[in-house]
Amino acid sequence: MIEVRNLYKDWKEFSLKDINLEVKKGEYFVILGPTGAGKTLLLETIAGFYFPDRGEVWIEGQNVTNLPPERRRIGFIYQDYSLFPHFTVEENIEFGLKLRKSTSPDTNRKRLKEIMNWLGIAHLAHRYPATLSGGEQQKVAIARAIAIEPSILLLDEPLAALDLRTRDYLREELKRVKEELGITMVHVTHDQTEAMVLADRIAVMMKGQIMQVGTPYEIFNKPLNEKIADFVGVENILSGVVRNNENGVAEIEVDLGRNIFAVSDYHAGKVKLFIRPEDIILSESRGESSAKNVMKGRIEALDDIGPLTRVKMANSLVALITKQSRESLGLQKGEEVYATFKATSVHVVR
Amino acid sequence: MLKKLKQSKTKIITVLFSLLLASFILVLITCVVTHTTLPALITSIASEEIQFAIKLSLTTAVVSTVLCIGISIPAAYALARYDFFGKSVVNTILDAPLALPPLVAGVGLLILFGTTSFGRGLADAGLVFVFTPLGIIIAQFFVNVPFMFRILRGTFQSINPRYEHVAETLGCTEAQAFWRVTLPMSKNGLLAGSIITWSKGIGEFGAALMVAGATRMKTETLPISLFLNMSCGELDLAIAAATILITISLISLFVFERYGGFTRVF
Repeated sequence: MIEVRNLYKDWKEFSLKDINLEVKKGEYFVILGPTGAGKTLLLETIAGFYFPDRGEVWIEGQNVTNLPPERRRIGFIYQDYSLFPHFTVEENIEFGLKLRKSTSPDTNRKRLKEIMNWLGIAHLAHRYPATLSGGEQQKVAIARAIAIEPSILLLDEPLAALDLRTRDYLREELKRVKEELGITMVHVTHDQTEAMVLADRIAVMMKGQIMQVGTPYEIFNKPLNEKIADFVGVENILSGVVRNNENGVAEIEVDLGRNIFAVSDYHAGKVKLFIRPEDIILSESRGESSAKNVMKGRIEALDDIGPLTRVKMANSLVALITKQSRESLGLQKGEEVYATFKATSVHVVR
Repeated sequence: MLKKLKQSKTKIITVLFSLLLASFILVLITCVVTHTTLPALITSIASEEIQFAIKLSLTTAVVSTVLCIGISIPAAYALARYDFFGKSVVNTILDAPLALPPLVAGVGLLILFGTTSFGRGLADAGLVFVFTPLGIIIAQFFVNVPFMFRILRGTFQSINPRYEHVAETLGCTEAQAFWRVTLPMSKNGLLAGSIITWSKGIGEFGAALMVAGATRMKTETLPISLFLNMSCGELDLAIAAATILITISLISLFVFERYGGFTRVF
């Protein structure tokens, strides 16, 4: 368990402002934020590489604010692996084990073999880090960190430097570390997919501050404000005025020609509306959909992004559809389509 | 062919200049080495005086290099890793001996160790620097320490502090992390720095002359021996000293280029 209380830290061009976090035991906690948000500085301050200007860090119920890193029982993994280049793979993993005075050389040796087998890197034992691929190096870094049985593992953009396939694979390995070893993980990233796939909970960090903490569903579907919404990929951000509210469904006047219905408690006043692009369904006819909102519009642009197609409409709505539905609908630029979305897909904030 | 020649006129002229410069250096070295006959050279090298000079040069240079290493490692580490008040001023001052003429450095050392109460205190405690081999060591140290310092500072700066961070999470104290990770990773820089400091120590003349004087068979290093024998017409002995100095320089240069080509000295 990790607790960060009212933490402040200024370091070079970064600063942390009044950070409060609680990471539960065994939780996979992701700190998500854009480059320069201070995510790495926060992680390094939790690790004890820097002392906070103000505030406290607690690990496993102990105030560690003034303890050096070597007494915090943490593992740390950097994006660039930071394997010691003058040691072999085996020596790298053994590094921390040899420093422990509590265990015998035989136990350490056994532990080393066990970990290398568990991560499937036993065949690399006598190689030097420079001769390994990025994915192999990161596995060695993971092995080195977990060898000393830390209570928490801090990961700074651990997958950012890897190719797509290796990234997918290592993501599964990280899940395995959490699930099979029960280590509390704090993972810093700017990658939303990574956060969505791995996190039990996510903290969104911007400009040195924690903006929102919640489950992946809450962060991606119920962002607290426009900045978070924009960062987590809510492409439809509209301004409107609530005109009516019947049984918890608000009717909101927006700039699209038609009012939007949304599940909300607001009865009046100016609001912001967030609709995720993948929640918008496109069709050629009005159809029989039970969805509350149907907007007609002309297609302005179609962009392929991987397996998906991003459809931008003239009324400024953006939809994400699969390539398959694009083909079956035969969507063309300039064509008129109906965009449909549910009242529950619209998140309303003040 | 003619067109090609015309196109590369600049190349021909510039290459000509480089060849001219190279031959000037080569001729100069050859002149020294071939000035005497081989049997005469061997006899001179075997002479008691040159043997003494070789031994004194080697010892003083080794000791002053060890001093340079011992003091530069912590100093360079501080300036590579930490921010502190007055850091840029300290950086500039530590580079200063590079720009100082060795003779001036020598005068300074002579005054410090010869006339101040600090120097007299050391002398009373048995550390006499003026006109002794100790003076040679301190002169070599003062003139050459910036080379070691600059190479090590560059080396430490090039090593990401993240290695130390990770080592600390694995159970190292800050000092252990430096000793087990940063220092082994700096071995090329250390080797290059030692070579250049040592070979410059062997050749140190001006400052050593001022502090230690030029006394035959007492403070007679190879360059001092060259100077003494040249002044009194013992040409064979002088050439022997010069030849040894050239050999040491060339070997050092080779080793430095091999291991320290990446570090900037100036």
